[in-house]
Amino acid sequence: MTSSNVAIRPRRVAPGEVRARLGEPDAMIKKKKLGHIDRHSRRFIAHAPFLAMATCDATGFPDCTPRGDYPGFVKVLDERTLAIPDRPGNKLADSFRNLAENDGIGLMFMIPGVREVLRVNGHAYPTDEPEVLARMRTEAKEAELAIVVDVVEAFFHCGRALIRSRLWDPASQALAEEIPSAGEVAAEQMGVDVDPKVLENMLEAGYRQLY
Amino acid sequence: MQQTVLDRVDQVAEDVVSLVLRGADGPLAPWAPGAHVDLALPNWLTRQYSLCGNPADHDSYRVAVRHDRLSRGGSEYIHLFLRTGHTLDVSVPRNNFPLLPAPEYLFLAGGIGITPIVPMLAAAVEAGAVVTLVYTGKSVATMPFADELRSRYGDRVRIFATGKQGRPDFSVLAAALNPHALVYCCGPASMLDAAEAVFPAGRLHVERFRPTVKEFAPAKPFEVDCVRSGQTVHVGPEESMLDALNHAGLRVPFGCREGVCGSCELLVTDGEVEHRDDLGAAPGRMYCCVSRALSSRLVVDL
Repeated sequence: MTSSNVAIRPRRVAPGEVRARLGEPDAMIKKKKLGHIDRHSRRFIAHAPFLAMATCDATGFPDCTPRGDYPGFVKVLDERTLAIPDRPGNKLADSFRNLAENDGIGLMFMIPGVREVLRVNGHAYPTDEPEVLARMRTEAKEAELAIVVDVVEAFFHCGRALIRSRLWDPASQALAEEIPSAGEVAAEQMGVDVDPKVLENMLEAGYRQLY
Repeated sequence: MQQTVLDRVDQVAEDVVSLVLRGADGPLAPWAPGAHVDLALPNWLTRQYSLCGNPADHDSYRVAVRHDRLSRGGSEYIHLFLRTGHTLDVSVPRNNFPLLPAPEYLFLAGGIGITPIVPMLAAAVEAGAVVTLVYTGKSVATMPFADELRSRYGDRVRIFATGKQGRPDFSVLAAALNPHALVYCCGPASMLDAAEAVFPAGRLHVERFRPTVKEFAPAKPFEVDCVRSGQTVHVGPEESMLDALNHAGLRVPFGCREGVCGSCELLVTDGEVEHRDDLGAAPGRMYCCVSRALSSRLVVDL
């Protein structure tokens, strides 16, 4: 963007005013937060192939990252403990670096076709416990590390966001045609003079090795 | 795959449930004692289970599943989340453990390894053979079908609760073995090893649910020519031939990924295979989940 079209800085609403605008939450809503994984949350996790994982560094600066595998890839070790496998990614290890400084973690589990999501917040640390890693073996390979989550709260989040976003509507996939390919984006953002097709092929080749 | 409906889930021992799967579209594919099927679970995992029901029942299959404490999501899913009335895809039965004719049989079963033995024992008795079953488990409560087998076959069934009585001495059984008897063994690896140490190889048949530990030279890359599709697929040193073929879109079915179930069998028409499975592939065949190539190129019927 050029300097000529910098947006006007939107005004800030004071915290007290936000509450006044939104009103108080329903008393029922507060009750749905549980301090453990009940049988409904457990069934949800057993069917979830995807989650978003948020962590922060010591200063509170946040990061959010996707995790996905076969449904039930997150293991429920007991009703207050989860384990998330660490699969090969970009090796930046942002989440691990954050957890070393600040053990807070926020998870959002999603199941294709289900409008509600499951949210779990707690404290986390990395583990290499063989009995935990053994439960995460896929394509004959074990995970190198896993993240253990001590659950503080678990609750279902209503489906309005997913309904409004038509996230699971197959027709919504037409949106994918309207954005540039990952190769085109990478070529421009990394400033390399390479045919985006070459980058695209490299990316696809990398995607063949998922574990 | 055959579509079935989960009719019943019954607890048959501590941590063991039995599933009855009824054919959704009429009779199911026939099977003989020793056969197993792939069960495709709703969580995308596929697991192999021996059929332990009655082969004369063409309407349903029965399997029994122990909840593995280190479950990756197969047995845990079955124990905690499967619901009766839901449909499940089940493969056509395969048999790597067929019962060969003999006048006398010694069956050795350990824990959940009893499942293929149940219909084998019934067939052997039906055929008029002399049978003995030695069935071991931690305690009787953890051993599926123990009471049922004892009441049906009386003292032909010998139950060993190893927690109390220790393990049976296989060398004593081997010394007393009728020279015409065949031995069938299914159980944990330690039990199969003990049986392989004392019974003559030609008369011992084993079924594994875990692969043996084997050492191989470092994996090398090779090419696979697929004659029917006309594709040539490169298999890198880090990936299995099965994964390389599937990533290339060739859709090879698979089950255990460990060389024990036989779902990924391929016909090999040229090249030299490095067999790494526990099944013992027939000439001209290979199990591509674990096996690789000694030659730089394999030609397969795919």
